[in-house]
Amino acid sequence: MAPEGDQRSGLQPYLESLRRELQVSDSILLSVLLALLAVALTLLVWKLIWGRKSSRRTVLLVGLCDSGKTLLFVRLLTGTYRNTQTSITDSSAVYRVSNDKGSSVTLIDLPGHESLRLQFLEKFKAAARAIVFVVDSVAFQREVKDVAEFLYQVLTDCTVLKNTLPLLIACNKQDITMAKSAKLIQQQLEKELNTLRVTRSAAPSILDGSTSSGTAQLGKKGKEFDFSQLPMKVELVECSARGSKAEEGSADIEDLEKWLARIA
Amino acid sequence: MLDFFTIFSKGGLVLWCFQGVRGPAAACTAPVNALIRSVLLQERGGNNSFNHEALTLKYKLDNQFELVFVVGFQKILTLTYVDKLIDDVHKEFRDKYRNEFQHKGALGLLNGTFDFKEDFLHLLREAEESSKIRAPTAMKTFEQSLKSQKTVKSMIETRGEKPKEKAKNKKNKGSKKEASGTEAATVPSKAASDAKQNPPAATGDREELTRDEILQKNREEFFKKRLKGGEKSNKSPKPETQKEKGKKPRVWELGNSNAKVLDYSNSTTNGNTDTCPTEEYDPDTALGDRDREPGRLYDLEYESDEEEPEEEKVIQNSSQPRAKKGGLGGMFGMLKGLVGSKSLTREDMDSVLEKMKDHLITKNVAAEIAVQLCESVAKKLEGKVMGTFTTVTSTVKQALQESLVQILQPQRRVDMLRDVMDAQRHRRPYVVTFCGVNGVGKSTNLAKISFWLIENGFSVLIAACDTFRAGAVEQLRTHTRRLNALHPPESHGGRTMVQLYEKGYGKDAAGIAMEAISYARNQGFDVVLVDTAGRMQDNAPLMTALAKLIAVNTPDLVLFVGEALVGNEAVDQLVKFNKALADHSMAQTPRLIDGIVLTKFDTIDDKVGAAISMTYITSKPIVFVGTGQTYCDLRSLNAKAVVTALMKA
Repeated sequence: MAPEGDQRSGLQPYLESLRRELQVSDSILLSVLLALLAVALTLLVWKLIWGRKSSRRTVLLVGLCDSGKTLLFVRLLTGTYRNTQTSITDSSAVYRVSNDKGSSVTLIDLPGHESLRLQFLEKFKAAARAIVFVVDSVAFQREVKDVAEFLYQVLTDCTVLKNTLPLLIACNKQDITMAKSAKLIQQQLEKELNTLRVTRSAAPSILDGSTSSGTAQLGKKGKEFDFSQLPMKVELVECSARGSKAEEGSADIEDLEKWLARIA
Repeated sequence: MLDFFTIFSKGGLVLWCFQGVRGPAAACTAPVNALIRSVLLQERGGNNSFNHEALTLKYKLDNQFELVFVVGFQKILTLTYVDKLIDDVHKEFRDKYRNEFQHKGALGLLNGTFDFKEDFLHLLREAEESSKIRAPTAMKTFEQSLKSQKTVKSMIETRGEKPKEKAKNKKNKGSKKEASGTEAATVPSKAASDAKQNPPAATGDREELTRDEILQKNREEFFKKRLKGGEKSNKSPKPETQKEKGKKPRVWELGNSNAKVLDYSNSTTNGNTDTCPTEEYDPDTALGDRDREPGRLYDLEYESDEEEPEEEKVIQNSSQPRAKKGGLGGMFGMLKGLVGSKSLTREDMDSVLEKMKDHLITKNVAAEIAVQLCESVAKKLEGKVMGTFTTVTSTVKQALQESLVQILQPQRRVDMLRDVMDAQRHRRPYVVTFCGVNGVGKSTNLAKISFWLIENGFSVLIAACDTFRAGAVEQLRTHTRRLNALHPPESHGGRTMVQLYEKGYGKDAAGIAMEAISYARNQGFDVVLVDTAGRMQDNAPLMTALAKLIAVNTPDLVLFVGEALVGNEAVDQLVKFNKALADHSMAQTPRLIDGIVLTKFDTIDDKVGAAISMTYITSKPIVFVGTGQTYCDLRSLNAKAVVTALMKA
């Protein structure tokens, strides 16, 4: 009892003095306290707003050159057909997803050209919620190594791994008869990525060898590479941005829209 | 006459297209894609025209709204109104659809309808007409010319008076003066005589009399000039006469005096302490720092980091009084410049770009490439709206950095191991040829690359096609021996990982290469590395020999080895090597340089400009970087690090 009493008595005079201080010199101390409170409140509010902003609400459309990203972008947003050229910069727009919640995501269409793709990916990957990797199903056989290399770079990117962004591989240009099916593309990609794991990690180390972001191990060692081994969800869908009748008809992108609705 | 005219956004949407002579819309996408890929994306945006097959494409960028205007017409036509047409269309289109661009971004572009056809046709017609209006001026008819006013008699020059005039004018040097002089002298005399003889005839020719006045003036001038000339000619004979009068002997003033008179030296003071008084010796100033240890040699103090903030302070100090001098208006003007949207003009960027160009050149980027790069960046930024609190310098630096990274990004896959695996599957060896000028490090880097390949389990055959330089074969043999010692056959399942294929000196390199490749195929080697002799790019027979080697053996990879120390020479070397390979190749698509190996990278600190020069010229990637002389000194390029080193002040 006695020590508690001592403690209480130790605190009491301090509190008394504080109260007296507040009552007497109310202007200075009170104003200082109020100012601190206001600053703390603004910081809190700011953090909330910033937090909201930086919450990842964008979906990136990436892929090789001429795979149909810009046309997919147009189709998703307006449903019409437009002529397109090779993109030099990104285009972004808000897309209302067709689900019950009616939420919206920002679609960003990144250029696919070799000299630009990594730069733009770096810029936009921080705010990404999901990635759509568009593949040209007709030219796939010819381009399989380039597709696999870009996919490898996307999959081993540190931000993508850290946030485990869901990835959709959209096999585009299915309206052409020579297009490969999604199953075939999946098998080929898995085989190619299996080989790439070995060759990329054996490449000469990067000049200035500071960060080794590219040497993250893909999948499980020893076993053949499989998309299911990855920490993020990877799905494949078939779609056709052009549609069967180009300008007149609509695009065949229901699967893509459903996936977007799911991840939004 | 135009084939097509398209307007599209930088994001890839075609906003409007006009088919002139061409067929369906799809036919104009291929040339425009080629334009984008080769010009805009490779930072060759200096000149604004581009040739693709049979078409010439001219383009204009609108950086404010991110649009590209492209017009295509046949190469054989020379249309003068195209530049003006593009400018007019640009202005008109921008003004008409300003709303769509400004507010809604990509959705605005998608949803807007751009019905521009009538305006475009109107502008086209105007442009075509304006080029026709400037018809050549009609020639004057004979009646209008001055010559018809002269009488024939006035133009006749009689022989009699001419020789007299010529004798007087002999001393005048200027032939023009002579000619004009004679004419002026003869014609007024003729005119005068004519005037005396046929006054009625002369009155009719009013112009002859007025010409007479002009001729009088000319005559006066001419006589003045003659007098001057006469004076000069009078002066010239005088000194000659003086010389000829007599040769007097030269008299030296001190000639007869003896040596003592001529001796001006003081008496010697060696050892004489009275003659040189002891100076006022202040040990402090002489010794300087009293605290130093006697006998120690101090290092040079390095103050580089301290100098920079001083410079900045100086600049800031100089700018502050300037701001104050401008008064309130000036200060607000400065603030206005920082905040709010201001679009960049050429003049704003010029000074910054000059500085950037000089900076790049000091970092060892070839001069012409630095110029082209800055031009391209200027084109990309002209008219762009700057954000708040961004200065011109920061915008330009940012844009330059982006374009440098863009250049260094490889345009094709750079993965040699993958390609070797492919070739392995097809049971044929993967052939790599190394070419370059003398002394860049071909053999050293060949050894490094073979070490790397062996580490990854591929067997290598080195073909010694350098049959010229003394010791080349021995050098490769030493490397082979060392590599085999490092990776003995026992650790690789009993097969020798490296072997040397050589045929001594003086033989034909292409033949040796061919034999080496077939030997490798028979023995099951995975990779063949062909080492060639170093040769200067101007040496035509050697370049022919190299081109023959490459054309005959069709290697999978042709690597140009260049050292990082090279400056403007890099441009010349690469251009000439590529040209030689293209000229001497029989194939439809000649084999050019496929990749670059940048060697001696450890010798340059941050003057890494050679990387930029080489990739810009060839647009081929840098496959390897050599950073030393041991086997482990092989790296791959990191574009960001190189650009950071380049842009570092």
